[in-house]
Amino acid sequence: MDLFLLFVSTGLVIGASYGLIAMGFALVYKATGVVNFAHGELVMLTAYVAFSLTQAFDLSFIPLMLVTIPISMLIGLALERIFIRPMLGEPVFSIVMVTIGLAVILRGVTMMIWGPDPHNLTAGVTTRVIMIGHLPFYAAQLMSIAALAICTALAWAFLRFSRIGIAMRAVAAHETAALLVGISVKRIHAIAWALSAALAAVAGVLFAMNFKLAPDLWFQGLKSFPAVILGGLDAILGSAMAGLIIGLIENLSQGYIGQGLRETSGFIVIIVVLMVRPYGLFGDKDIERV
Amino acid sequence: MKHLAGAVIAALMGSAAMAADPGVTDTEIRIGDVNIMTGPASFIGRAVSIGSKIAADEINAAGGVNGRKITIVTEDDGYIPARSFQALTKLLEVDEIFALNGTSGTANVLAMMPLIEENNLPTIVSTAPNELVYDPVRPSVFTLGASYSDAFYAQLKYIHENTQPENPVYGLIRQDDDFGLAVEHGYERAVKDFGVKDGGIVRFKKGTSNFAAEMIQMRAAGVNVLANGGIISGAANILSEARKLGMPLESAQVWSEDMPLSVNLAAQAGYDYYVGDYVALTGDDYDAFVEKAKQYVTADDIAAMNRYTLVTYAALHAMAEAMGQCGQDLTRACTVENLRKLKDFEVGGIMAPISFDNDKQLSGTAIAVYQLDAASKTFTRKTDFADY
Repeated sequence: MDLFLLFVSTGLVIGASYGLIAMGFALVYKATGVVNFAHGELVMLTAYVAFSLTQAFDLSFIPLMLVTIPISMLIGLALERIFIRPMLGEPVFSIVMVTIGLAVILRGVTMMIWGPDPHNLTAGVTTRVIMIGHLPFYAAQLMSIAALAICTALAWAFLRFSRIGIAMRAVAAHETAALLVGISVKRIHAIAWALSAALAAVAGVLFAMNFKLAPDLWFQGLKSFPAVILGGLDAILGSAMAGLIIGLIENLSQGYIGQGLRETSGFIVIIVVLMVRPYGLFGDKDIERV
Repeated sequence: MKHLAGAVIAALMGSAAMAADPGVTDTEIRIGDVNIMTGPASFIGRAVSIGSKIAADEINAAGGVNGRKITIVTEDDGYIPARSFQALTKLLEVDEIFALNGTSGTANVLAMMPLIEENNLPTIVSTAPNELVYDPVRPSVFTLGASYSDAFYAQLKYIHENTQPENPVYGLIRQDDDFGLAVEHGYERAVKDFGVKDGGIVRFKKGTSNFAAEMIQMRAAGVNVLANGGIISGAANILSEARKLGMPLESAQVWSEDMPLSVNLAAQAGYDYYVGDYVALTGDDYDAFVEKAKQYVTADDIAAMNRYTLVTYAALHAMAEAMGQCGQDLTRACTVENLRKLKDFEVGGIMAPISFDNDKQLSGTAIAVYQLDAASKTFTRKTDFADY
């Protein structure tokens, strides 16, 4: 039983990272209908920005996030304005290709600015082991789980109660109709990118705190993709939940079966979900696949 | 008249031989270096380049190789084998190098092998001492470095004979590739030779960050002597999980874990781990090397130095020695022949003396075991260089 609980607890930790990253994917897809293949790179870039801030100003976690998140949102806005906005009206496939190109650019820029060396990122958070019952955690691991819960609650409240959130749902439901009732679709797209970048910052910083900061962090975007598919490409809250499920599946399959199944189990889930329930556990039935 | 004709023919043959081998003039010898200068592993490439620069500057300052100065021509391959082939093609056809002293990773040097063989290019492989490089032996290829298998065996032997943990249970966590397989060979040999309990082998995909499940399995098996086959961030994350799980560990590591950037990541877990390496990490000879390096490279370069700097420095000196023995009539064939005869060539104590006079044209196989003091992030040498 102890063994099972250990696998579950550590699965929830990595699952929380997947969930945070998956929410960013889903947010942009819901608002714009485009899968942002540069989201993993955005996670990496914002984590490096946070690293530079800690190096320059020795910020602890909360102040660090208070500075990093707005900077990340500005980065998200800039990327949308420079690379995505000019593509409005073009086929979705073309926009997706732009995000793939953007991913390569961001990887190169990150390497150019920060170099190839991996780093520790603690942001003043204790590295002591915290016991919850018999289960050991690092503080940063508990913070990942807490961050997923907070971001999920905020996303729900934002989509349910805020004018912009409701407008975003309207754009997702029918872009032309939303335009006709006076919603600025361009503005909604920009906000979606900014919020997605904010989620990327939270995910990136916490992932780097738990698993080191290295230039291959972008790969976590790909690793989180099964969660996006499982939750539903357009389901922001569902993606968060699916992240936890994928984390659990990965850890339990690796723990009990092994043979590197962790790396493949998530993608097995993608195939099964696409065959059985192509719109995901929480997605809308009529979403368009790209 | 007969003697005169003979002398003329000999002179013509000599100049023809020189003309046949590019990269050599009366004043210069161009040595190629295909290297990882971009991408996540570029810290290795930079360290290699620094080693080449120190050696070349030192040799040139002492008058060069029979009066010819060494020039290093570096091409980036980004650690991609296809690009390694392109890079060496460019070095051969455009830069017209005479020899090669930087060969990137194992897959990269294998990709370049047809060009190396076709051109009888004197080559010292110093950053990828993999069995695939020296078996089968290629006539112009010389390998400098020990196997991962021996490096792990050496460490586990030291742990077995000196630390004697209570109820020892050995375990291995390794990548599911050729490198991981080499580590596994060393581990299995150690477990068999020492008759210790094998807690199991766990394999993981290259690039894995999360080792929680693997280390839970290790703890469940009671492992307290770990052969940690992770590299850099991976190795650090493995130790971090072990610490979280409260595992008392004697940990043997890959030699990449003696590099400063790896130590900075892994020391946080607090384990005084071991590494087995074929270059010196401490001691008077190492200190003397660093002092010497300060004459030729910048402070930034000194900070970027690591074990790959030392091994590349040693390799270029071995190449220079072989070229020097050719006298003025420097040819690739002569250099290869002299490398083949090289025996007990001293490189200032930064690794065991180099001898390529063996069937595999392989040297530098002697390993020293070091232990990290995680608090001070410094290593202590535990054994002399020895073959295992």
